Amino acid sequence: MQGAWWALGIAVASIAALAYYAFVVLPARIHRWRCEGLRAFARLIELRTQGRYGKAEPLAELASAVALRLGIPLHERRQMELAVYLRDIGMVAIPYHILNKPTPLTPAERDLMARHAEIGASITEQIPGLWHVAPIVRLHHVVYSEQPDAPLAAHLLSALEDWIRIAESADADTAASVLKQGAGARYHPVVVQAILSEVRQRTLDGVQSLTRSAALWL
Amino acid sequence: MSWQERIRYWTVTLGALAAGLLALAGTPLIHEQLLPDLLGIVVLAITAELLLIRYPLRPEYSDRGIWLSVSTPIVIGVILVYGWQFGVWLDALITLLAGTVTVYLRNTRLRWVAVNTFQSILSAWAAGIATTAIFDTGSGVWSVAAAGALVLGLFVYMLVNGVLVSMTVALAEGVRMRWVLAQTLLSLPRDIVLMTPIAFLAMAALHAYGAVGLLGVLAPYLALRQAFVLAARQQELYHQTIRSLGFLVQRAHPYTGGHLQRVSMWARRVAERLGLPPDRCELVYEAALLHDLGKTVLDERILNKPDRLTPEEWEEIRKHPQLGAEILRDTPFLAPIIPWIALHHERPDGAGYPFGLKGDQIPIEARVIAVVDAFDAMIGGEAPNQRRPHKRPLSLDEALAELEQGAGKQFDPQVAAVFRQVVREWRTHCEAKAGA
Repeated sequence: MQGAWWALGIAVASIAALAYYAFVVLPARIHRWRCEGLRAFARLIELRTQGRYGKAEPLAELASAVALRLGIPLHERRQMELAVYLRDIGMVAIPYHILNKPTPLTPAERDLMARHAEIGASITEQIPGLWHVAPIVRLHHVVYSEQPDAPLAAHLLSALEDWIRIAESADADTAASVLKQGAGARYHPVVVQAILSEVRQRTLDGVQSLTRSAALWL
Repeated sequence: MSWQERIRYWTVTLGALAAGLLALAGTPLIHEQLLPDLLGIVVLAITAELLLIRYPLRPEYSDRGIWLSVSTPIVIGVILVYGWQFGVWLDALITLLAGTVTVYLRNTRLRWVAVNTFQSILSAWAAGIATTAIFDTGSGVWSVAAAGALVLGLFVYMLVNGVLVSMTVALAEGVRMRWVLAQTLLSLPRDIVLMTPIAFLAMAALHAYGAVGLLGVLAPYLALRQAFVLAARQQELYHQTIRSLGFLVQRAHPYTGGHLQRVSMWARRVAERLGLPPDRCELVYEAALLHDLGKTVLDERILNKPDRLTPEEWEEIRKHPQLGAEILRDTPFLAPIIPWIALHHERPDGAGYPFGLKGDQIPIEARVIAVVDAFDAMIGGEAPNQRRPHKRPLSLDEALAELEQGAGKQFDPQVAAVFRQVVREWRTHCEAKAGA
């Protein structure tokens, strides 16, 4: 009977391993796969607009960190990450000369540009496994005062994308003050709070690692 | 022979074999006092069978995919504890009963239930024969021989079932058996690794407690099912990505109907004739579908311009192979096709773009796509402004002659020769169809 207990133990252990594989490892791997596939869509838009739109990696990384802070559950975080890669895909249908116009856009052209979210959502809806991402794609430029009850992930993307854009063209302080001014009007106040504290945390970490490496050098 | 006839003959053959095997197995269920056990096992196994998983095939083969059930570990456990006769009957019974319910649930046809039942009888028999060769039925569970027999049984069952299912799909959908088989058997090792613990537990539980013991297998069984669902999902996602990208290519550039599909089919056939391995041929299909992906990035005013293009505009168009490669740069599972997309406008004589590579410097897959794409453009498959200047679409014969002339210069001679043959065969096939 000694052998029987051993064998039973091995069987139970391998079934635990199977369950871990099925419910933890595989879903994570599949999510990574999907992101890798969708990265092609983001690259496409990035190339079509000569790098002005569609860039996904920094936004995806920062957005997941902020979402973790906001306590958004895992499956919604993953959904949001997929939306990050797909959000600007509607720009394949916006005429090339408007996307790449060197001079400021006219109001009519700006209206056309604003339709990319809606077009992107309708493209996303046509991909069988991604219809559930479409609402976030549709609302990724949502204005808080207009639609306060939109998904939190959409508010997050809307504010964070603006933050990244301003921080790249000006600096992080300007971006932070724009977000603070818009909190409650253009941006979701809770989201703004979370973004700013995440960014502050990162600056502190950056300074710390800088001093640490400086100390090593000295 | 039409496919309905082929399927009918196939069904009858399978049915005759299965009936013979059932007769050979006799009626072990009634003689031995296993009837109460049997009822319990059947109920559980049918539950398992009903939790079907849709395993997707490549979308061009079949949109329905294969419905995969994971009752196999239980059947193998039963074979090892009660003998193969019992196993064959059990598998027949559960496939038939669960299949009949499925007919109502999933709107399938009764004929497929019959085919499925026959297939599982044959697979269970093969597994039984293989295991009895190295293991005496019912002679204990805790031995190396038992574990070995278990893995062998799973392997034989899945192998036989995979081959039979592939033959059925190939006959019903009119695609090559080899393609479907390659896809079905690719996951065999992983499936066996996943199923072995469950089969072992099922065997141990049956041995110790009879049918009631199988209840203990329920939880791990659900974990196993989850693993299979997700594995199937991964497969589906792969095709979805390619399909959606293909959709974007199609709407960016107004091809006349079916250019991409034609090019892909032909490219794959040529790749096969050239003796490339099956998985490579599938990738050639994918690459041919996406070879103009870079055009989605270009200004559609140039792509759709009805007049002749200026040199600057040609310069823009010539960027598309590299842009296509750039789009796929961060997608590792499509990495093999990136060079083929980047180089599909290179020419063996070195006059192509973007790099002006020569002969063997160009991968064979890119040479295949170049030939097929150019041919389809010659016969008028592409947008009007992409045709060579002042040329009307050529007839099939003229295009074939053009291929022969360009061999060695614009086209790889070996690829062009194989492709000419493929086109000729395709034409005789079409004419035979039109005649009949």
